[in-house]
Amino acid sequence: MTDPSPRPDVPAVAAAFLEHARRDPGAPALAWADREISYGELAALAAGQRPLLDRLGPDEPVGVLAAKSPGALALVLACLLTGRRFLLPSPSLAAETLDTLFDQAGCRTIVREEDLLPPAGEVTWPAVDPDSIGFMLTTSGSTGLPKIVPLPHRAVDAFAAWAAGTFRIGPGRSVFSYAPLNFDLCLLDVWTTLAYGGRVVLADTARAAHGGYLADLLRRYPVDVIQGVPMLYNLLLDSGAIGFAGVSHVLVTGDVIGADTLAALPWLFPGARLHNVYGCTETNDSLIAELEPGRSGPAPLGVPLPGVDVLLLDSGGQPVDGPGTGELYVTTPFQSGGYLDAARSAGKFTGHPLGSDDRQWFRSGDLVRRDSGGSLALIGRTDFQIKIRGTAINTAEVESVLRECDGVLDAAVLTSTDPVAGRQLAAVLTRVPGSAVNSLTVRLHCAAHLPKAAVPSTLRIVDVPLPRTSTGKLDRSAAEELLTPEPIPGRTS
Amino acid sequence: MTNIDTIRQFVLEEFLPDVPADQLANDLDLMESGVVDSLGVLKLIAWVEDRFEVVVDDTELNPDNFRSVLAIDAFVTRAAVSAVGGR
Repeated sequence: MTDPSPRPDVPAVAAAFLEHARRDPGAPALAWADREISYGELAALAAGQRPLLDRLGPDEPVGVLAAKSPGALALVLACLLTGRRFLLPSPSLAAETLDTLFDQAGCRTIVREEDLLPPAGEVTWPAVDPDSIGFMLTTSGSTGLPKIVPLPHRAVDAFAAWAAGTFRIGPGRSVFSYAPLNFDLCLLDVWTTLAYGGRVVLADTARAAHGGYLADLLRRYPVDVIQGVPMLYNLLLDSGAIGFAGVSHVLVTGDVIGADTLAALPWLFPGARLHNVYGCTETNDSLIAELEPGRSGPAPLGVPLPGVDVLLLDSGGQPVDGPGTGELYVTTPFQSGGYLDAARSAGKFTGHPLGSDDRQWFRSGDLVRRDSGGSLALIGRTDFQIKIRGTAINTAEVESVLRECDGVLDAAVLTSTDPVAGRQLAAVLTRVPGSAVNSLTVRLHCAAHLPKAAVPSTLRIVDVPLPRTSTGKLDRSAAEELLTPEPIPGRTS
Repeated sequence: MTNIDTIRQFVLEEFLPDVPADQLANDLDLMESGVVDSLGVLKLIAWVEDRFEVVVDDTELNPDNFRSVLAIDAFVTRAAVSAVGGR
């Protein structure tokens, strides 16, 4: 299903918010700390921030450096309503990094929490060009300077229309906002909800790691829709919380959810449909899958959202049309036109990789498998692409194949260097307790499912769980230590 | 101990130390299954030359001669016969 241009009747997010404030000023817009804030109050607070923006040059962007609060939300609304571009980086970045980002974006004025102004009476807002830039978010790359991602108003409006329709966000419905204000997840939790007349229950970013606080907040202000990284659900489960029966949609995003967490979600949200949502800051949400607790195998990504198209390209750059594995390219109606620093867009924002259309595509860096039914599943990052004796191999894919071997619970694939053979693959496997799995059964499984060069030279089978980071990601450097004691010699060692 | 037993023991110790002996089939394709790779073949050949006192010349370096326990046994038997015949 292809519909590259958003529907013309999609309302502008901030203008739609104002309309709700005008029509039903007493309706709750926010639940924050111990009180609710109405649409009328929030609109007045937004009007109050306008002098902060009116003193800037006509095309000058503004930096917003504030944690999530009603005042910070009002400032963002004022930016959107006046057509003012604004950079919204994470306040937790290093001061030097923030300086560089604000400088790059051309922000000479930075508004902080303490600069925010009190509410004001009604003001008239100008018309805003939907093709101009509003939000400028930053990527959350682990290394180097974050990239600035400018989002046209039109892209955010189109996204909000999808999200509101899919999760029935509107008057009388509440949405939990867990992510910090600078995260793209707020485009759904906060901005879609405010555009469509719902209530946002704001979790205080400073207390976001306290499961008990989060559970109390959800009991006090019940919600219909909740979106978060797997950590949110782990925190709620660890706090002993159970049975938020009013929740109808649970969205898991940002990371692969652990099988144990997924299995417990029906107890936490007994009335909810569970979705995995895949997207990135550059493109916004792209794929959605219904999660099935108890199902094994790679993380399901599901199917493209309406208007979203995907392509899989194998390591040779050839399209994978049917079932198979390749790097995911995506184009969405919600995406950025490229990084603010155009030089950094090279290789990431591209034309159609095969030249088949004029749209802009985004190269995700994710390795994805398509099954015979057309459904997609995440294998891992293409960053795990390495070369063994000239053959390109993705270690995440090898891990995925190893985990499917009978008797294997978990697998980490690492590289080691042999003085003769050069770079080799080495695998550490955790077996199912009491299973009869051994290096021969694993090798036979690998031979049936992997090209020869991708079969690890060294296999070590252990009975301990593989080390994982606090966010549940495989810790490969720690796993390496499991390789050293008495490794099972492979074919050449 | 037959040659087959000797070959089995080497393959198990060298390439499959955690595998119970009864799981190694004599006709298992050691290369297709990934038990022995191209460097492993060289190691296997060196061992065959040493253990059975045969010389593997270039024309016999064909990996098919070392593909399974049975193939190695057949090769060793042939090599021994030709060595005797050549004396």
